[in-house]
Amino acid sequence: MKLELGFIQINDIQFSKECKVENGTLYVDPDVVKAFMYEDDDVKAWVKDFSFDVAKPGESVRITPVKDVIEPRVKVEGPGGIFPGVISKVDTVGSGKTHVLRGMAVVTAGKIVGFQEGIIDMTGPGADYTPFSKLNNFVVVAEPVEGYQDHKHEYEKAVRLAGLRAAVCIGELGRNVTPDETQTFETPGIKEGIEKYPNLPRVAYVHMLQSQGLLHDTYVYGVDAKRSLTTILNPTETMDGAIISGNCVSACDKNTTYHHENNPVVKYLFEAHGKKLNYVCNIITNENVYLADKQRSSDWTAKLCRLLDLDGALVSQEGFGNPDTDLIMNCKKIEQQGVKTVIITDEYAGQDGKSQSLADADPLADAVVTGGNANQVIILPKLDKVIGTLDYVDVIAGGHAGSLRPDGTIEAEIQVITGATNEMGFNRLSAR
Amino acid sequence: MVKEIERAGIPVVHMCTVTPISLTVGANRIVPTIAIPHPLGNPALSMEEEKAIRRKLVERALEALTTEVEDQTIFEV
Repeated sequence: MKLELGFIQINDIQFSKECKVENGTLYVDPDVVKAFMYEDDDVKAWVKDFSFDVAKPGESVRITPVKDVIEPRVKVEGPGGIFPGVISKVDTVGSGKTHVLRGMAVVTAGKIVGFQEGIIDMTGPGADYTPFSKLNNFVVVAEPVEGYQDHKHEYEKAVRLAGLRAAVCIGELGRNVTPDETQTFETPGIKEGIEKYPNLPRVAYVHMLQSQGLLHDTYVYGVDAKRSLTTILNPTETMDGAIISGNCVSACDKNTTYHHENNPVVKYLFEAHGKKLNYVCNIITNENVYLADKQRSSDWTAKLCRLLDLDGALVSQEGFGNPDTDLIMNCKKIEQQGVKTVIITDEYAGQDGKSQSLADADPLADAVVTGGNANQVIILPKLDKVIGTLDYVDVIAGGHAGSLRPDGTIEAEIQVITGATNEMGFNRLSAR
Repeated sequence: MVKEIERAGIPVVHMCTVTPISLTVGANRIVPTIAIPHPLGNPALSMEEEKAIRRKLVERALEALTTEVEDQTIFEV
């Protein structure tokens, strides 16, 4: 399957009555975006109102609680549309041409549910821990209807869809713009790949998807990942939004939709494809809360690795705690099929870094990449402007009673920062 | 906690869902339970069915507690 991505660099966002992309600036009318979001029945039912803001790199701005980060894209050639099975019809994506508004994102924020999502600081020490401080962010703050407390899952869905719709609405503005740069990504069929690269090791990406439920969820072509068996994707499908985030908890190591669209493991494997290795496919597998599900899904992962006659697999985890077991089960069972693995994870090693990093372990997990220690404590300065609300800083995962201090500074673990210890290796924290 | 209580000389049954973690951390008597968010219940069942499951799990745990073990043992339910 072959996909061409055309990157349109966005260096600025301006509110305007006319919607267009011109000379690297996105001009957008929030009312147009709002109207497009409200075309959805869930959004209509659960979101009382939206407000809009723009946050640029270097500004003294804090966005919190952040639910999702999404890169606007538009399909300009080939079957299907962005976010298939969710916003577009369910046709298979990943071929043809897609335009990408690079350098910007749609960020959804506001009161979500009980435990809240993360923090994005656009300047200061916190900005170093999140990749989204380097983007021009179109921030959508959602306000729930009265009585939403008894319908938190419905409200989460409404905000999830609203963000995706905003990204599709803005992505559409790039349809007729000439990209600044194009890149082509292609993986061959199984037989063709073996014939073309007979001497290169066959490598797949085992992509673990958060599916614990209770607002830790991922959707693939609209299917709730916890209700799916382990299966295979063409790597380019992820670039057209085949996988989206439904997460609301522990912001540091949950994959936002932006991460899925720009998965660095996929990017690296494509760079090495045909040179150092033969990139076979992505294997997606879930992280459920029943032991039988964990066993079944990891069995299937190992079975597919063997069936594809792989030499190696890169395995990325999402989240922490009991998914550590899914990670180790995947690693162990794949290794036992004679396929070498490298696992990508993060650590909860305590604030002093001296505790056991993962809840589970095995001698076969002998090649590990870490995204950093999520328990590391950070002091975030008071910033001039808050988009969203500081009401939840004390209860956010990684915060504690008193995290928001009287002088407006925040003391918390880096777990509160969106994408800080991302387990696709999207961020820059690491350890040797 | 399981290990510290046992160190004080009191036998412990670890009732948990993710038994591999229980094995890794060193529990000796392990009873597998329903699911991580609801280890000793199942909201999908009726009250009567749920009560039956709870009783079965607790009885199995008590049986495990009074069984001599030589090594780490999972008592399947």
